[in-house]
Amino acid sequence: MNATTASTTALMVNQSDCPEVEVPVPLFFTIGVVGLAENFLVVVAVICNRNLHSPMYCFICSLAAFNTIASLAKTWENLMLVFAGVGQLDQRGSSETKLDDVMDSLLCMSFVGSIFSFMAIAVDRYITIFHALRYHNIMTMRRTAAILGVIWTTCGVLAMLMVRFFDTIFIMTCFIIFFLISLVLIGCLYVYMFMLARIHARRIAALPTSGSGRGRWRRQRWRGGTMRGALTLTILFGAFVVCWAPFFLHLIIIMVCPLNPYCECYRSLFQLHVVLLMSHALIDPAIYAFRSAELRHTFRKMLLCSDWR
Amino acid sequence: MSDFHNQSQASARRSDYVWQYEYYDDEEPVSFEGLKAHRYSIVIGFWVGLAVFVIFMFFVLTLLTKTGAPHQENPEHAEKHHRPGSCLADNGSPQDENERAFSRPLLPESRSFFHFYISEEEQGQGKCKAEDQGGGAIQGQRARNRLGGVSSSGMEEMEEEGEESEERQPLQGLVDEGKSDRESAFLSHFNIPNFVNLEHSSTLGEDDLLLCEPSAMLGSQHWPLLM
Repeated sequence: MNATTASTTALMVNQSDCPEVEVPVPLFFTIGVVGLAENFLVVVAVICNRNLHSPMYCFICSLAAFNTIASLAKTWENLMLVFAGVGQLDQRGSSETKLDDVMDSLLCMSFVGSIFSFMAIAVDRYITIFHALRYHNIMTMRRTAAILGVIWTTCGVLAMLMVRFFDTIFIMTCFIIFFLISLVLIGCLYVYMFMLARIHARRIAALPTSGSGRGRWRRQRWRGGTMRGALTLTILFGAFVVCWAPFFLHLIIIMVCPLNPYCECYRSLFQLHVVLLMSHALIDPAIYAFRSAELRHTFRKMLLCSDWR
Repeated sequence: MSDFHNQSQASARRSDYVWQYEYYDDEEPVSFEGLKAHRYSIVIGFWVGLAVFVIFMFFVLTLLTKTGAPHQENPEHAEKHHRPGSCLADNGSPQDENERAFSRPLLPESRSFFHFYISEEEQGQGKCKAEDQGGGAIQGQRARNRLGGVSSSGMEEMEEEGEESEERQPLQGLVDEGKSDRESAFLSHFNIPNFVNLEHSSTLGEDDLLLCEPSAMLGSQHWPLLM
């Protein structure tokens, strides 16, 4: 009697001590659908407006396309889970597992692809600033198309490999190391750009002035401008880290300490981390695409159905 | 038994999200006895660390802005600025070529940029046309943004720089005549490359565009016309 009560209490304790945090399905759907709509609009806007056929916008379009695929796959998966919960689908059916594999590979592809797109955007901005005079020779449309082709094929291949062999520790380690390397690369690129741009701005602010009042004004404007640059950079990089790091820590924890109770409690928050990942697809257009006046202008035209230019 | 079946079904459903979860369910359930710290200590520690990292990064970036106060005016730069100026560019010295080299990304951009530099130099030169102070003030910030790239308004200015260079192409024929006067006025008074030249050649050593492409830059002056 005592043994059974002890075991049942132990079972209950194990069930309730760090229960899996469930995110309501409507929230998943909302985030998925809104992210899908936003990113799809960005893709359509860049394709339709001829002024936006430049390398920078091609990379932003590619990022939006990857986010679209991620949102689509996630929403589709939610739909399937809802149907499975209701009982319409068989969990173990062969077609369902194949479909599940397809969705997982699409998700992996979009994750890796958006990281590659971030890196491409950072490199493109770097070349824009520090090799501005040769930018149009370095970054031609042909090279941009080649880079995008390489990114998309690599992502497709990696996605298929990852889904097939995800059980192996090696692939997961590679995934995590890839994420960390790209994080460091992107961070270094942006901080380097920021520091050199600050030096440029300082030089401008040190131009000879007619009076001390003017100089003070210029110093203040210089500081205000650089402060905004710091804020933009923090938002850019901070959003990337905050949205991606929890998921990757989850992967690390799965590999490193599967049986530790602390790690178990972290793993119970998995759905929240997936929500964060999906919301990154949501806020990406706000950080990258909507900062551009031309794109906003195109959006307004598209959404208000006014005459096309 | 049915409880266990439901549990495995629930975990199988969760396995749609992460394919490893079910794998660990097969083993012994994790024991929560005798935990020293709070259950969610990893979660709390992770988020606190992340918040600290982001805030630390922001403070480092803003500290960079605060400690980088502009230098006092150097007498050597003063004499270069107060060069007796005509409104036309002279073609001999490498200084002018560097100016042209550095001014190249600015040429396709808006005229307000020229207004800024012309207004900045007005007290020294007085021979060239100067725009009014009010316009120069607002345009000055935008101009500084363009030159500074990231430093002001962050990426927005960089993107505007890129997109305006694309937008200008269809309009080049129309605004060229207006621009050429401003270009020549602008080129003779634009002295920033003196600073950038020293900085780049000493610390970076990689940005050769200011030093090694004078002939290309001479041609690039006509870039707006060609496009």
